[in-house]
Amino acid sequence: MSDIAVHGVGTSHFGRAPGTDLVTLAWTAVSEALADAGPGPIDAVWVGTVFAPAGVAQRVLRAMGITRVPVVTVENACASGTTAFAEACEAVRTGRYGRVLALGIEQMSTAFDGAITPEDTDPEGATGLALPALYAMAATRYLHDGAVTPAQLAAVSVKNHAHALHNPRAQYSGRYTVDEVLASRMIADPLTLLQCCPTSDGAGAAVVGPARGGAREVGVRGIALRSGAPWGRRSPHVWGYDIVAETAADALAAAGLHAATDVDVVEVHDAFTIGEIVTTEALGLVAPGEGGKAAETGVTALGGAHPVNPSGGLLSRGHPLGATGLAQLAEIVWQLRGEAGGRQVDGARIGLVETMGGGVSALDGNACVVAVLEAP
Amino acid sequence: MPLAIDSRPAVWFHVDVTVVDPRPRIVVAPDGAPHVAGVRCQACAEPVAYPWPACPECGGPVVAAEFGPEGVVWSATVVRIPVAGRTPPYALAYVDLDDGPRVLAHVVVDGDGDTAPAVGTRVRLRAGAPDPQVEVIG
Ligand SMILES: [Zn+2]
Repeated sequence: MSDIAVHGVGTSHFGRAPGTDLVTLAWTAVSEALADAGPGPIDAVWVGTVFAPAGVAQRVLRAMGITRVPVVTVENACASGTTAFAEACEAVRTGRYGRVLALGIEQMSTAFDGAITPEDTDPEGATGLALPALYAMAATRYLHDGAVTPAQLAAVSVKNHAHALHNPRAQYSGRYTVDEVLASRMIADPLTLLQCCPTSDGAGAAVVGPARGGAREVGVRGIALRSGAPWGRRSPHVWGYDIVAETAADALAAAGLHAATDVDVVEVHDAFTIGEIVTTEALGLVAPGEGGKAAETGVTALGGAHPVNPSGGLLSRGHPLGATGLAQLAEIVWQLRGEAGGRQVDGARIGLVETMGGGVSALDGNACVVAVLEAP
Repeated sequence: MPLAIDSRPAVWFHVDVTVVDPRPRIVVAPDGAPHVAGVRCQACAEPVAYPWPACPECGGPVVAAEFGPEGVVWSATVVRIPVAGRTPPYALAYVDLDDGPRVLAHVVVDGDGDTAPAVGTRVRLRAGAPDPQVEVIG
């Protein structure tokens, strides 16, 4: 059904690795992806990264013998890795290149001592809005509107940290209680430390090519990418809702699906607990105002009707910005092949990846990518 | 200090690339009331808090416009972590200015700044600070 397929994926371990250089992180992911895909050429490379220095893509690729090919570096905030993947898919679909490597790399631990803030050239950045505070604004509004409770926010963290117990590549994991999550240090009201993604280093890679019907190929059934509309009082929604809803509608239509509820497993952008709640609603996985309850009642847990972030998500697996999208993609590929071990969603046939990046004032997100994938 | 892998300083990408302050500009009207000096779209009437050359909503032509001084809190938070050049805790709010744009502002509160105004609170712009600032009315 799909013309394009993911032939192989790989990732590094995720965590703080200030003593490991990007070449090593990238090689861990690329070598695994190349071995997974099997022999064949790499005709072009798309690389997603946010804070890495100029020339980083060629610098890491030369170290693994990938030279003399088109290399394109893209930056789309947290959606940089999925943007690289989306463009790699499009390059294959249009026949521009035969077999393309998508690579996401990020080393946060050497660049940030704490929370990310938008650029100083950005009004919000210059006004002191750290990224957690942007999501906190959405959480405050949801609480005020009665669309979520503090316990429901915390339930997302409890769930994703528990999922990561089965993910050996995850930065963190653990069995927390709602009370423990709520009692952790306040970062930006009402979001506590355990409701915020950690500072992470890592890499993810995927080899994309034409679908050949291989037994381990995961089809790319639909994919969409867009930047956010101006966000303000015209929108009835919190920041980051409309861009996800609109991008998901495009991707689901491209995949020939009626609704996100047709999907068996999803990896979404849970940089903060409220992010997963808003996203599950924006995707249409649950009804508006039901995202918190879905986390609290196990609907979005492994074994629930709509499992979300079996990998542990950004909250627990980690969030190396440019690498995140490809880490999400790798998880869905493993899920659709039945290779996800203790966190396997039984019988998963259709999977969805959603990544959303923000930080530009007055926009409902810098970029969102939604990809719909199908089992071999 | 964060550890750097190579010889560059770890925060090399934080170098300012402009001297223009990107924050909304607060001007004081002849009647003494502070306003945000922005633009309004002539095509779709979108209010914009910045002196941008075209409407971000529709791309239409804009004319200079001033907004405020009062508005209502859309949402708010208290930042409790270190942010460069700031001393936590401090309260921030997204404020929907009356007939104007949604702007991010610091909230002037009594005491140590660790209280955020409730959603729906009426607030008023204050002039004289580098950051956009609002205070609770009444
Ligand atoms: Zn307009």
